[in-house]
Amino acid sequence: MYVELKHINKHFGNFKASDDVTVGIEKGKLIGLLGPSGSGKTTILRMIAGLEHPDSGEIIIDGKVINDVPASKRGIGFVFQSYALFRYMTVFDNIAFGLKIAKKPANEIKERVHELLELVGLSGLEKRYPSELSGGQRQRVAFARALAPNPQLLLLDEPFAAIDAKVRQELRSWLKGMIQKLGVTSIFVTHDQDEAIEVADEIIITNRGRIEQVGTPYEIYSNPKTAFTASFFGQPSIFKDYTKFRNFESIENIDNAVVRPEFVKVTKKTEVQKYSKSAEEGIVEEVNFRGFGIELRIRVNGVVLTARRSFDEPKVEVGEKVDVFLYQLFVTEGNEARLLKNQSLREPVVVI
Amino acid sequence: MKRKSVVIPGFGLTTGVTLAILSVVVLIPLASLVVFSAQMSASEIIDVITRPRVLSSFKVSFLTAFVASLINAVMGVVLAWVLVRYTFPLKRIVDGTIELPFALPTAVAGIALTALTADTGLVGGFFANFGIKIAFTRIGITVALVFIGIPFVVRAVQPVLEKLDPAYEEAAGVLGASRTRIFWKVILPELIPAIFTGFGLAFGRCLGEYGSVVFIAGNMPFETEIAPLIIMSELQEYDYSSATTIALVMLVASFVTLFLVNVVQNRNAKILKGGS
Amino acid sequence: MSTVTQSSLHRDTKGSKIVRYSLIGLSLLFVFLMLILPLITVITEAFKQGFAVYSKAVADDYTIKAILLTLEASFFAVAINTVFGLCAAWSLTKFKFKGKKILATLIDLPVTVSPIIAGLIFLLTFGRQSPIFSLLQDADIKIVFAVPGIVLATIFVTFPFISRELIPVLESQGTDEEEAAALMGAKGFTIFRRITFPHIKWAFLYGVVLCAARAMGEFGAVSVISGHLRGKTNTLPLHVEILFNEFQYVPAFAVASILVMLAILILVARSVIEHKGRKK
Ligand SMILES: Nc1ncnc2c1ncn2[C@@H]1O[C@H](COP(=O)(O)OP(=O)(O)OP(=O)(O)O)[C@@H](O)[C@H]1O
Ligand SMILES: [Mg+2]
Repeated sequence: MYVELKHINKHFGNFKASDDVTVGIEKGKLIGLLGPSGSGKTTILRMIAGLEHPDSGEIIIDGKVINDVPASKRGIGFVFQSYALFRYMTVFDNIAFGLKIAKKPANEIKERVHELLELVGLSGLEKRYPSELSGGQRQRVAFARALAPNPQLLLLDEPFAAIDAKVRQELRSWLKGMIQKLGVTSIFVTHDQDEAIEVADEIIITNRGRIEQVGTPYEIYSNPKTAFTASFFGQPSIFKDYTKFRNFESIENIDNAVVRPEFVKVTKKTEVQKYSKSAEEGIVEEVNFRGFGIELRIRVNGVVLTARRSFDEPKVEVGEKVDVFLYQLFVTEGNEARLLKNQSLREPVVVI
Repeated sequence: MKRKSVVIPGFGLTTGVTLAILSVVVLIPLASLVVFSAQMSASEIIDVITRPRVLSSFKVSFLTAFVASLINAVMGVVLAWVLVRYTFPLKRIVDGTIELPFALPTAVAGIALTALTADTGLVGGFFANFGIKIAFTRIGITVALVFIGIPFVVRAVQPVLEKLDPAYEEAAGVLGASRTRIFWKVILPELIPAIFTGFGLAFGRCLGEYGSVVFIAGNMPFETEIAPLIIMSELQEYDYSSATTIALVMLVASFVTLFLVNVVQNRNAKILKGGS
Repeated sequence: MSTVTQSSLHRDTKGSKIVRYSLIGLSLLFVFLMLILPLITVITEAFKQGFAVYSKAVADDYTIKAILLTLEASFFAVAINTVFGLCAAWSLTKFKFKGKKILATLIDLPVTVSPIIAGLIFLLTFGRQSPIFSLLQDADIKIVFAVPGIVLATIFVTFPFISRELIPVLESQGTDEEEAAALMGAKGFTIFRRITFPHIKWAFLYGVVLCAARAMGEFGAVSVISGHLRGKTNTLPLHVEILFNEFQYVPAFAVASILVMLAILILVARSVIEHKGRKK
C-alpha cells in the first residue's frame, strides 16, 4: 500500500468528522472518494495533505508515518474545490509558484511551466489572469499548478463541482487519461456516483465519517456490502416486506429490501415474457420521459417501484396493467447487505 | 485558545502583536477607568451624578443627540434615496461630500459652524431677523450634531437601498400597489434596520461629541452645557473622581446604544441570510 | 421620509417628477448648507484681511510647530495602527480560535468611546494619580501633557480604522489561496506579500487614509491629554482652538484652512482609491 490511513479519528468540536477511518491505496491508482455531502470526504483529503491534523491514528505514505511531517514537505499536490488559483498572478506565475518557492533555476522553471501548459492544453494563455479563463481552463491551471513540483501523490477535492455538465464530461475523461499517462497516485473527492464509477480505478465510499466499502466500481455497484452502499446508487426503491414477491428466498429479521430500476423488467400484457409465470401484475402510476428512455413508477404488491423501458419498446400508459418481474434485490439487516436472486432464474428455461 | 488552521503561518506572531497593542492602547487604559471608579463609594458616585448641573448636562446631551439623530434619520434616508435612485449633475461630488464630517477635524467644523450661525454670520444673521438664535443655544448644538451624524445614516442606508431588488418593488407594482403604498409597505420595512443602525451609530457618536460642539454651545450651565464639557471642566479643576463618574455614565450609555445596534444588525443579518 | 411619501401620492409622471426634483433640491440644499457652506466660511474668514495676514498666520512659529507635532503624532498613529491592523486582520481571518468574537468586539470598542473619555483614561493610566506615575517619573518618562500621551490618545481614537477595512475583504477572500501557497512550501512573509497583500491593497490604502485623516483632526482626546502647552503639545486643531478662544479669528481660520485643505485632499484620495479598488 502506498498511502495508508490507520484508525484515524477527527472531531470538530463535538462533531465526529472522521470515525476510525482505516484504508489503503495502491501506488499508481486513481481513487474516488465518494459519499454524500458532509460525510467527511474533504476532511480525509485535508488530513492526508496536512491541512488538518487527525486527533488520533496514523497516516502513512510510502511506508513512513507522516503525521508530524509539515504539509509542504509531504510531496503532495492538492487541487482545491474552489481551485484557489492566485488571483493576482498570471497563469504562468500560478504554475511556477511552487517551483520558485523551491528555488529552482529560472530556465528550468520556464521549461517546466511550458511543458505543463502544453500537457494541459493551455499553451499561449500563460499571460492571462485566472479571471480571464473559463471554468474548465481554471481547473486545468489548478491541475498544472499542483503537478508542477512533481508530487508523488495528487489530491483533488471535487475537481468538477464548479463546472457545467457538458464540459464536465469532457474534463472527466481528460483527467482520467492525464493521470493514467502520468502514473501519479491520485485521490479525488466527489459526491457524484456516475463520476466516481466512470473515472475511478477504485472507489472508497464514505458515510457519516466512516468508510463503508472499498472496491472497484463494478464490485461496489454489483456487490454492495453495507445497507448504505446498497441504497446509495441509482434510484433505488426501498420497502419493507419483500416476501410478497414470489420466488425469493425468505430470510428472517430483514430490515429492508432495495430494488434498483435495472433489476425490474416491465412487460405489456401483449408482449412475450420469458418468465411470465413468475411475474407479478402491477399498475402504471407515472410515465416520465427521461434522456435515457422512459421512467415508470409502478405499483406492485402494495409498493411503488421505479423501472425503465427504452424508447423502441411499445409505449405503456398510466393506469395500464403490466407484468413486473424482479431479477434480483438487495436485502439489508442492520448495516449489512446481501444479494437475493429470483429463484425462477435458476429453473431450466423451456425454449419454445 | 486553540489554533485551527494548520498550515497558514503566523498565528502566534499576529495574535500576539494584536493582543499586546490592544492591551496597551485599549484594555489597560479602560481598565484604569474601572479601577479608579471602583475606589469611589456608591454614595460618592450618586452624589456626583445627581448634582443639578450634571443632571442638566445629561439632559442637554441626550436631548440634542436624540433630536439631531432623528433629523439625520430623515435626511439620511432622503440623501441615500436621492443618491441611489436618481441621477443629477454634481451627484458624485455630493456623494463624496457626505463623507466630509469624517474627514474634517471636529474643531474646524465647530468654529466654522459657529461663525456661520452667530448673529453676525450668514445663516445666523438670516434667522436673527425672525428672532431665532442658533449659535450658543441648544439649536446650535443640534446643528453641530447633525453635521457630525449625517454620514452614519447615509452610509448605513445607501448599501441596503442599492441591494434592494427592483423586481421586489416591480412585483408589488404589478399587483397594483401605488407608489406610496410600495414605499411604506415594501421599501421602508427593508430599510428600517439600516435606519436604526445609522440612527444608533449617529446617536452614540453625538453623545460623546466634543470638538464641534464646544464652540457653538456657549457652555452656559443648565442651558447649553453638555456632559463631555462638564468632564472637561472637572478635569481642568483636577477633580478626577467627578470626571470619571460622569464619564462612566456616558460610557455605559454609549455601550448600551452600541449593543442595541448590534442586536438589530445581527437579527437583520439573519433575516437577510434566511431570505436569500 | 415624510417628504418622500407626501408627494409620492401622485402616480403620474408629472407627480413623480415633482417628487424627484423636490427630493434632489432638498438634498442639495442640505448638503450645501450643512457641509459646503462651513468650508466656504473657513476660507472666506481666513482671507478676510487679505493674503498677507493669512500667510503671516500660517507661517507663524507656533503654527509651524503645531503642524510638525500633528504630523509626528499622525505618523506614529498610522504606523502603529498599520502594524496592528495587519496583524489583527490576519489573526482574525486566517485562524479559528476561542475568544475571536470578543477580540473583534474589543478592537471596535474605541470608536464608541467619547474622545474626552479617551483622553481621560490615559490621564488616569499615566497621570499623577496613577499607581505607575512614580515609576514613570523615576524613569524620567513623561506621557501625560507630553507627546507620547498625544500619540497614545491618537492611536486610541483611530484604533480600528485599518483593521476594519481589511477584515471584510480578507473574510470574503477565504483561506484557500494561502493554504495552497503554504502547501507548496511558501513562508509566512512570502504568502502575505505575494498572495494576500494584492487582495487588500486598496482597502489597506483606504484605511491608512481614513486613519491619517482622523489622526490629524483629533481634538477632544488630545485636548485632554496635551495640557495645551503652546509650542510643545499643541497640535493643529488645538492651536485653532486657542486662537479662536483668544478672539484671533482670522489666524484661527487661517490655520483651520490648512486642515480644510487636508480634508478635501483626503476626500479626493478616498474617492480615487475607492474607484480604483472597485475597478479591480
Ligand atoms: N473546520 C471545520 N469546523 C467545523 N466543522 C467542520 C469543519 N470542517 C468540516 N466540518 C464538518 O465536518 C463534516 C464533514 O465535512 P467535510 O467537509 O469533510 O464533508 P464532505 O464530505 O467533504 O462534504 P461536501 O460534499 O459537502 O464537501 C461536516 O458536517 C462539516 O460540517
Ligand atoms: Mg467537501
